Amino acid sequence: MSRGSEKPDESPKWMSFRTLLVSSMLLRVFLIIYGEWQDSHMEVRYTDIDYTVFSDAASLMASGESPYKRTTYRYSPLLALLLVPNSIFHRSWGKFIFSASDLLVGLFIREILKLRKVSEKVCTVSVMVWLLNPFTFTIGTRGNCEPIVCAMILWIILSLMKGNLSQAAFWYGLVVHFRVYPIIYALPIILVLDSKLFRSGQKPPLEDWNTLTSSTEKKTFRLKSLFSRERIMFGLISGGVFLACNAVSFYFYGHEFLHEALLYHLTRTDPRHNFSIYFYHIYLHYERQFSAVEKLISFLPQFTVQLALVFSFSKDLVFCMFLQTVAFVAFNKVITAQYFVWFYCLLPLILPWSRMKLKWEGLLCIILWIGAQTHWLLWGYMLEFKGVNVFLQLWMASLVFLAANTFVLVKIIQRHRFSPLFGQYVSSDGKNVKKLD
Amino acid sequence: MGSKRGRSVIAATFIFFSMSCLNSISTTQAGTSMLDSDTFCISDQYIMKSYFTTQSSLKESEFRNFLRLQQCSENIPYEKDVPVVAMLQHREVTGEGSHRHLLTTIKLLRQSHLHELVIVERLPLGVFADPFELQSLQQRRAFSDVSVFGDTDLEQPSFRSNRSVVEIHVEINGNGEISVELPLHARYQLIGESGYSRVEFGEPDLFLCSRHVPNQEHQQRRCLVLSVGRSKTQTRSVVWDIPAGIRSHTEYVSVITFVAAVLSAFSILVASVLSSKVESCKNTKEL
Repeated sequence: MSRGSEKPDESPKWMSFRTLLVSSMLLRVFLIIYGEWQDSHMEVRYTDIDYTVFSDAASLMASGESPYKRTTYRYSPLLALLLVPNSIFHRSWGKFIFSASDLLVGLFIREILKLRKVSEKVCTVSVMVWLLNPFTFTIGTRGNCEPIVCAMILWIILSLMKGNLSQAAFWYGLVVHFRVYPIIYALPIILVLDSKLFRSGQKPPLEDWNTLTSSTEKKTFRLKSLFSRERIMFGLISGGVFLACNAVSFYFYGHEFLHEALLYHLTRTDPRHNFSIYFYHIYLHYERQFSAVEKLISFLPQFTVQLALVFSFSKDLVFCMFLQTVAFVAFNKVITAQYFVWFYCLLPLILPWSRMKLKWEGLLCIILWIGAQTHWLLWGYMLEFKGVNVFLQLWMASLVFLAANTFVLVKIIQRHRFSPLFGQYVSSDGKNVKKLD
Repeated sequence: MGSKRGRSVIAATFIFFSMSCLNSISTTQAGTSMLDSDTFCISDQYIMKSYFTTQSSLKESEFRNFLRLQQCSENIPYEKDVPVVAMLQHREVTGEGSHRHLLTTIKLLRQSHLHELVIVERLPLGVFADPFELQSLQQRRAFSDVSVFGDTDLEQPSFRSNRSVVEIHVEINGNGEISVELPLHARYQLIGESGYSRVEFGEPDLFLCSRHVPNQEHQQRRCLVLSVGRSKTQTRSVVWDIPAGIRSHTEYVSVITFVAAVLSAFSILVASVLSSKVESCKNTKEL
């Protein structure tokens, strides 16, 4: 989004943030009510099957049993606990919680951008990218729990930006317990907690949106700085919270919890068709198990990309997290549409720093990405609903989808205006002064 | 609930046992019943529930043996029932794709004082019924009772799963004709050469039971075996061809998948390194 051509910091009344938030809220309430109507009157349900799984698990928990008695419940017991009121008040309680988290994400996006002094207009447009995204408002209202994870991730970013290290560490430990994938953010967060840039208990100086150049010093590697006080604290607190949550869950629900909520996600290889390029390869080899070497080889591209992104972009923390999430999903063994929301919530945070214009480069990226998905879905429809053997074509469609993801990722990298999250501290002796325009 | 289950299990057990005895009857001709129908009594709601607590396979012989052990208690009066014959008028798999319906139309050729038809559908390997979907159908009154036993894992492919059984209870209305539509889903099949895997359906086992009285614990229910005839039009077997992976694809799919992953990873790696080099050049110029 270009900064040079904007008008003075004013937005028309109809586009004010408050109006946006209120209309988004009303839309979600309407969709939840509509969803209830559709569920009881039509053959095809509005509500996601996962929501039924969570609700069943929650009512099992409410009657003192293990939520894992419900087949395909593969989440933390905390989620079932959160949904216990489904059986007490109303079955839509969970949907309201998820939609509220979705609105919270919108609020956090605005706060994060405001802290970095992004203009009102650019801020509002960025928030609209989240709140008015059809995928976003259907996911919470259909009963999917991903908005809660997104809200937690953004809260962690916000806490770091305000210098609340313990708070950030606590929520990080909790979110990794809740959903394993945020573990990929551990390395960039640790790297960004450089004691030259971040000191706990103090509000760190943030690089503003208006800063044209950043003033990062040339890095000299010192082993001592690798184990700074902040890094150790973050590691200990988040690790402690993660272990404590798992220990309590294990105490109540034993091995079932370990297998269903943790190990399943780490070892999941699903031969059923999905967007991943690996699905057909896994299906064709399903009769025999993969050897350790084979598993390692298939993990190498994912691992290499994650490391490359972290070491190139960790200072620009939010951008790094966005790229890592897109790459993580694209190279994963299983890809389902709900994973996309993991990076949709970070996209509005990087848009103000992108030199990519909507016309025509932005539109091209959107069309290519959505087009590749639609192409895959058409072959998927032929297989699942027409019963035609199109496994090969479907697999090729997933290769095309990976190509589209790679293209969009590379374009975003090329068009990004690199901007570290934290600026240098202004020290009392006048060294390390932050450069501003 | 427990007594209901109890009664149905006994009923179905009894029915199944009788059916097994009657298997020797020719099934291509309608309207013949050679044996006296034995009356079974069941105290569980579903046969298959108690069957699976002691057995693990769906072999005919094991099931027959199990049913022979289900006896009526002395307080159930013995009645010599008039044999009831059912005709399988229509049986086919309808729909397209991985989600289809097994449609079965049955006509009872004689009236009976027993008013609940129990259908025990032993599903072949390769398809499964979703218990949650069946529960919601039951709530919409498609069946008076339904349950799935055996392997109900909805996610495993067929070669990693075992067979399952669906037991359906339907109230008989006046004209004695019942149509049942059972939603089924395909599992992922063993890979092969042709690209399709054929799944064949056998005939269901049918029983007639007395209506269960709610809330009567351990009340035994009488059930009758039905001998099943096929109508003249229903002679071909019921099959479902499910798409399956092709073995000859294996080598090149694996190689190309890996090459694609490496190429993508390499592109992203190059873009990242170039981008961070550009940034550090810029910063060096500034400093």
